[in-house]
Amino acid sequence: MAYNQIIKDIEKEMKINFLSSEPAFNDEVYVKVRREDFKNTCLLFHKKLKAPVMMLFAVDETQNKGMFKLYCVFESVQFKKWFFIVTEIPENNPEYESLSSEMYSASLFEREIKEMFGLEPNLSPDSRRLNLHDEVWPEGSYPLRKSFDIKDIKESLKKEYVFRKTEGEGVFEVPVGPVHAGIIGPGHFRFSVAGEPIINLEIRLVFTHRGVEKLFENKLPEECLKLSECVSGDSVFAHSWAFCSAVEKIKVIKVAPKTNYQRAIFLELERIYNHLTGIGGIAVDVGFSFPHAYASIMKETVLSLNDKLTGSRYLKGINIIGGISKELSGNDTALLLETLKSLKKDFESLKKMLYANFTFMDRVETTGILNKVIAQDVGITGMAARASGINRDLRKDFGACYNKIEFNLPEQTKGDVLARLNVRISEIEQSILIIQQCVLLLNSADSSFNYELLLGNKFGLGYVEGWRGPVLYWLKINEAGLIDRCKIVDASFHNWQGLSYCAPGNIVPDFPVCNKSFDLSYSGNDL
Amino acid sequence: MKTMIILLQTLMLIALAPLLSGLIRKIKNNLRMRKGAVVVQPYYNFFKLMAKEEVISENVSWIFRITPYIVLSTVILALFMVPVILSEAPLNITGDFIVIIFLLSAGRFFMALSALEAGSAFGGMGSSREMFISSLVEPIALLTVFAVSINAQSTSLYAVFMQNNMQVSAVIAGMALLFVAIAETSRLPVDNQKTHLELTMIHEAMVLEYSGRSLALIELAGYIKQIIFFTLTVNIIIPFNLFPAGDIFAVSLNIAVYFLKLLTLCALIGFIEVMSAKVRLFRVVDFLAFGLVLATIAVIIALLGY
Repeated sequence: MAYNQIIKDIEKEMKINFLSSEPAFNDEVYVKVRREDFKNTCLLFHKKLKAPVMMLFAVDETQNKGMFKLYCVFESVQFKKWFFIVTEIPENNPEYESLSSEMYSASLFEREIKEMFGLEPNLSPDSRRLNLHDEVWPEGSYPLRKSFDIKDIKESLKKEYVFRKTEGEGVFEVPVGPVHAGIIGPGHFRFSVAGEPIINLEIRLVFTHRGVEKLFENKLPEECLKLSECVSGDSVFAHSWAFCSAVEKIKVIKVAPKTNYQRAIFLELERIYNHLTGIGGIAVDVGFSFPHAYASIMKETVLSLNDKLTGSRYLKGINIIGGISKELSGNDTALLLETLKSLKKDFESLKKMLYANFTFMDRVETTGILNKVIAQDVGITGMAARASGINRDLRKDFGACYNKIEFNLPEQTKGDVLARLNVRISEIEQSILIIQQCVLLLNSADSSFNYELLLGNKFGLGYVEGWRGPVLYWLKINEAGLIDRCKIVDASFHNWQGLSYCAPGNIVPDFPVCNKSFDLSYSGNDL
Repeated sequence: MKTMIILLQTLMLIALAPLLSGLIRKIKNNLRMRKGAVVVQPYYNFFKLMAKEEVISENVSWIFRITPYIVLSTVILALFMVPVILSEAPLNITGDFIVIIFLLSAGRFFMALSALEAGSAFGGMGSSREMFISSLVEPIALLTVFAVSINAQSTSLYAVFMQNNMQVSAVIAGMALLFVAIAETSRLPVDNQKTHLELTMIHEAMVLEYSGRSLALIELAGYIKQIIFFTLTVNIIIPFNLFPAGDIFAVSLNIAVYFLKLLTLCALIGFIEVMSAKVRLFRVVDFLAFGLVLATIAVIIALLGY
């Protein structure tokens, strides 16, 4: 079945004609609908593709067209396509029908669009602010509108955020954060507990909103490369690659296969060092300090390998638009393979250490279960989704440079801390395999640069499966070649929700290890 | 003269107590291939805290202020009753094993009360968890007392320590006491002293509101409690009075053996802490059940006369 068929099916089912539906690239399809059809179209795509909303965002085109554009994005594994449902919302009547009561994965996005653009989702079940806290941000200022001026901000009203209430005999609330005892980002966790068991958990984030998406605007893509590397400090390469590939798509820059394989190598190195940190973190959060020390040593090995290969421990400054700044030489790949070989040996003993320890296994098994239905409804992505039996991975789903590479996705279904740990363990092993295959392909792939300067579409999606999950960059570039809109979605954005749904039923002292098993980024969420 | 020695002994043990923690930390760090802080770091911490400003919540009552002193005095009083150099009753204090255990409980009672004072969520969680665990630990401690008292025909520690032959029941009772020592000193796998995760804390959650001098005193009390339990454990497994000749030579040999035993126990505890994860809170019951079974066996064997 061709992807067109599904569009026709939906048109038939709704008894309407879409305004237009056209492929923008070989992996992106834009379906334009009327505002009144937007909700139903999105719901049907959601149902037919069995996919959650991956992105929902607005673009301000009031200055030349007098309207906002709303994009709802679904991933189709079957067709290897991204479906963009687009509608236009006039400036003088900025509202649309809310999607979130029937498609929960749209909920956070709607709240974000409301506060950033002032587009009102009618009949929305949750009208609270998400990013801009009531305590500090006044009503009526929409920072992502083009007409926004920081000078217009009035004094805030000091409204208080309303937490969901859990009441009953013996139920009390435990507020934790936003300042934590570790060196991590800020987030407020409001537990409702009856004794030790958690009844409800509400997570409030975005205490450090940086206006990243606004910062991208009105700059040349080349200027924003460094910015994309700073979005989430532990996913430097994934973010810069996703950003670069969006720009490369728009500018029709063909990237040499050799470059792609090298990028794949660096991405896997990033995955390995982060998974090692996470595995050690899970161990130390249940007080098991020896594997933590062991994993830290291995992590350091990978970081210094990064340093030797590229001059940057965290892989900064490698991606450039159209290529990479540091090519791997023969000596580099030899060092890479050798280090990975010894790493693999150490990793085997780390695995044994964890799996053989009864108390450790008792702590992680059946703890923090996120079941598949909730994971699908919320739109959990990446590593956490794979642990709950949702086998999605952009590397597999879309192939691209991974077509010639063989690797397996972890088969986990239980969705507990152990499942997430197993996923990370198997992903490290698969990453090593991927790197080994990339090195072989590297030698055979040609490296000639193919710099075509054609005029393509002015917008496009860059996507990379980072270690935490998909990193998505949707870019729109204006006539002057400046970025007009940049929408970023890091896997953390969806997965924080997953954490809040996996906590109830566990006891309070088990929460930190649940949290660690998701290993989410505050900065990737606090854009 | 005897009074002087007893005083000296107690002061020495107080001075020595933080060293044990420093030592265990060093052992743990070496096992984890880390360098770690110097062995005397607990002393630095103590003097640092003593010099620091103290922050006290406006909402607390006198219980909060007085608790550090009560906790410290109870452990010091208990320490007076633990024979280390002299195996005779000092200062005519008629305190036996049972008094020691309940003195420490009194300190814990005040600690749990004061943790509720500031009204923070962590204090309450800490208190409730600490009480839960102490309800499991006290029976083990008491059964241990019974086992060794049957051997010595007295609950007096001096009588117990005067024994100079190793008894099977005493060795098993000592092992049971090791479980008590681990739980009472908030060590893994029951509690984790070194964690930064407030939600998982037990003892540490209770002292979160303390700072400065009060915190220093509470920490010192913890060190002293630790040396009490360690001393009891090692001296029950291997009798203190191994060389009962009574001259200076025998006494110094006994002391040397005592320190050797302490050192071994520190190494053992360090090893256990590095190699085990913390058990799930409600699994502490299972863990301490081992201790209870051991203590019961010790009593039975003691009744049989071994």
